[in-house]
Parts: sequence; C-alpha cells; structure tokens
Amino acid sequence: MNWFDERYDLSDLKALAKKKYVPVHRHDIWYYTGGVTLFLFIVQFVTGMVLAFYYVPYFEQAHKSIIEIVTKLNMGWFYRSLHHWGAQFAIGFLFIHLFGTLLLKSYRKPREFLWFSGFILLGIAIFFGLSGYFLLWDERAFAAVRVATGGAAALPVLGETIKAFLRGGIDVTGETLIRFYAFHVCVLPMATLALFGVHLFLVQYHGMSVPVSEQGKNLRQVPFFPNVLYKDLIFWLIVLGVVVTFATLLPPEIGNKADPLAPPPENVKPEWYFLFLFQTLKLFPGDILGLNGEVIAVVLVALAILFFFLIPFFDRRSQQDQRSPVFTVIGIAYLLYFVIMTIVGYFS
Amino acid sequence: MKLNYSLVTRRTFLNTLFGGWIATFLAGSLYALWRGAFPTLGKEPDFVVLNKPGDYLDIPPNSTKPFAWGGKLGYIFKRADNTVVALKGVCSHMECNIVYKPENKRFYCPCHKGWFDEFGKNVEGPPPKPLEFFEYRVEDGKLLVHKKGIKVELPKA
Repeated sequence: MNWFDERYDLSDLKALAKKKYVPVHRHDIWYYTGGVTLFLFIVQFVTGMVLAFYYVPYFEQAHKSIIEIVTKLNMGWFYRSLHHWGAQFAIGFLFIHLFGTLLLKSYRKPREFLWFSGFILLGIAIFFGLSGYFLLWDERAFAAVRVATGGAAALPVLGETIKAFLRGGIDVTGETLIRFYAFHVCVLPMATLALFGVHLFLVQYHGMSVPVSEQGKNLRQVPFFPNVLYKDLIFWLIVLGVVVTFATLLPPEIGNKADPLAPPPENVKPEWYFLFLFQTLKLFPGDILGLNGEVIAVVLVALAILFFFLIPFFDRRSQQDQRSPVFTVIGIAYLLYFVIMTIVGYFS
Repeated sequence: MKLNYSLVTRRTFLNTLFGGWIATFLAGSLYALWRGAFPTLGKEPDFVVLNKPGDYLDIPPNSTKPFAWGGKLGYIFKRADNTVVALKGVCSHMECNIVYKPENKRFYCPCHKGWFDEFGKNVEGPPPKPLEFFEYRVEDGKLLVHKKGIKVELPKA
C-alpha cells in the first residue's frame, strides 16, 4: 500500500466513510430495500453483458439466437434464466422500496429530488422490462409491445409522436426490435447510471430519512462501515440465493416466434408488473357517455401516475414534518389498487 | 480597462457570448438528435393486390382468410349469409390482431377481451370504435383490396 499512499491521500475519504452513521429505529428495515435493488441491478448488468455477446437483434434471427443461447452456449440457460429472474426481483424490490418510501413519507422536504430520481428510475426499470422481453420476439412480447406503444398513442397531443419514437415506424416491426435493443443495452443503462449517481449522492448528502413518528426521539446511530454494510451483504447473499434457486428450478419459457399477421395467443398476458394496467384497460368500456373510453382510460392512468410522481408537493403536512394521515390513506389506496389489480389480472 | 460609458462590463459581454454559444450549440444538437430519432415513417398502403382471388373468395361461409395489409393483418371474411367483405384485422382498442370466432359469429381480440360483431361493430369490452372495412374487386385475375373511397387503376399489362 505504500506505493499507492505515496501518490494518493485517502485520509479525507476514510474520514468521510467513518462519519456515515445510520439511525436505528423500528422502521429501519426499509433502508435495506434500496441497496438490494442496486445489487440486483449489478447482477442484471453483468448477466446482460454475457447475453449481449450472443444475442442477435435482428427480427429473423432474434428468436432463434435465444434458443441457441439456452441450448448450445455453455451456461447460456443459466445466464438467461438469471437475467430473467434478476429482472423480476429487481422490479419487485423497486416496488417495495417505492411503497416503503411512500408510506414512511421519506419523500418529504428536503428529499423531494430523491423521490423524483427514484421514481424515474422505476420508470426506466419498467421500460427495461418491456424492452427486455420484446427481445424474445415471441407472440406474447409482440402483442405486449403493440399494446404498450399503441396505448401511448391514445395520450392527447404527444401520443402519436411518442408512438412513432418508440416504434421507429407506423408499425411494430423489425425496426422496433433494433430500437428496443438499443434502448435496452445502451440508452437505458446509461440513463440508469446517471440517475442512480444522482440518487446515491442525494442519499449521502441528506443522510437517511427518519419517519415523522421516530423524529425527536434520541435514536441510536450505528456506523455504516461496517455494521450496516455487513447487514446489507447478508441480505444480498440471501436474495442472490433465492434468485439463483428460481433461475435454476424455473427457467423462463419462450413462446412461438412472433408473426405480425397472426392473432396473439388466447388469454395473452403481460409481465406481472403490467398486470394492474392491463386489468385497468379491460375495465373501461369502449364508450363512456359518448366519449372514447380508451382515451379516458389512458388519460386517467397518466394523471394518477403524475399525481403519484408529484406527491411530495401535494403532501403539505409532511413538508412541515407533521403527521399526514390523508396521504397515508392515499398511499395505501395506491398500494391496494396495485396489489389487487395485479392479483385479479393474474387470475383472470 | 473600463470604458466610462459602457453599458456592459467585460464579464457580462463574455458571459453573454459564451452563454449564447452554448445555448445555440445545445439547441442545434437537440434539434438534430430529435430529427435523427425519427425515421421516415412511411404510411399504410392504400391498396394491396393479391394473386389467386379464388383462394380468398371461395372460402366456406362463416370463415376468414388472412392477407397482408402492408405490415398489418387483413381478413377476407365470408359471413354465414355468403356475403364477402374485406377488413383490417386489427383491434380499434390497442392494435392487437383480432381473430374470428365462428361459433359466436363475432371477431375477438384476446388482448383485452374485446368483441366485434359480423359488421365490425364494437359490441363488448373496451374497443372504442368499429373495425375498418375495405372495398375489393376482381380484375384481370387479381384481387384488388383498397381503402374505402379510393380509386385504384391497375396498370394494363
């Protein structure tokens, strides 16, 4: 270490690391949901790099190249399966992290930008999911992307522009596949790194948020290095074990190759994190008091998401560190809607 | 050196100059990126020409025969009463391909469970609009399917 120490003075960094303390209280388990998401994203980046060596993002070969990855490549089945299950768990933990943050009101002043950056990261993660499963180029993925991009077109004003941007044409075609590949392996990872950098910096800048109910108590503080980090690592190891077990025992399917001229399979469904939207779309009839039900559905969903995004501004009481039961109820309502619609969608 | 009657300081002048340079550069780059992100979109065809009209028109009643309407699905559909129509096989809700269910005499969209009757009317579920129908005619041994209200002349060979 002498060689290095002669050139670089790390004492400032070490002092900074020593200063990082985390409060202990009865809700502190939620602090671990962010870290595990980071860990799963690292797993995704690494397994994704391996898959990218072999995947062919061209519509005639995409489907076949995946079959070759899982049948011919050394450990290929494992990487694909791990990438699939890593994605499911990453998005699952992101939702847990989101609702934990929501219900503990960690978004309140001064941490609004933490909420916004995290929320956009969730949006990116969902787009990662959609673009990722479109790369399979199977019937279900094809239908899902037609619906997702076609649904965007129902938004007023910008809808058609968004649709053209996502599809790279008037239709979902091989062009869309190349585009989604570029999103999946280049645009979204870059955006994730940049935004995650902001997110992590803000966590360090503000320190951990303490819920209103625990504020003012004389909370014990434990050092992040090593106490909290070791707990993080324990949790990551457990989650890795679970993900690897799922990946080994439940390798994901691949459907029939997509055919733009064939109807989608009977009872086609999107990935689980789209089920609440899917079920919502089914609820709205085509005609509501003479208005276009599809547009109403898409606009209402967009407004509900926008309200969710801007919640730090609406929740005035939390801004002043007061208890805010109304927003607890709103948060629980969002959570219940998400959970119930996901379950109904799954079993419908 | 500061001029006695100058309206701007040297600092303001330079900030404006470089700020303007950066703003112009960013605006131009963003515009170029925006343009580059959109390919030439193309459009749906106004008509398609199909060989062997018999393959499409001589199907049993209460059944459909798919054809390619550009990159989308089209159907030649013979109703139970033997009338033959051409239509776009794409749901008016979220653009999934639809499928004909002979036992219900209805078109069905599996994505969000939408139903259309034999005349393309959206009768159940979320579809907001009826299906789009085409016109067709047989000419010189070819089946010509075209959008409603469009005049198509085949070149004489």
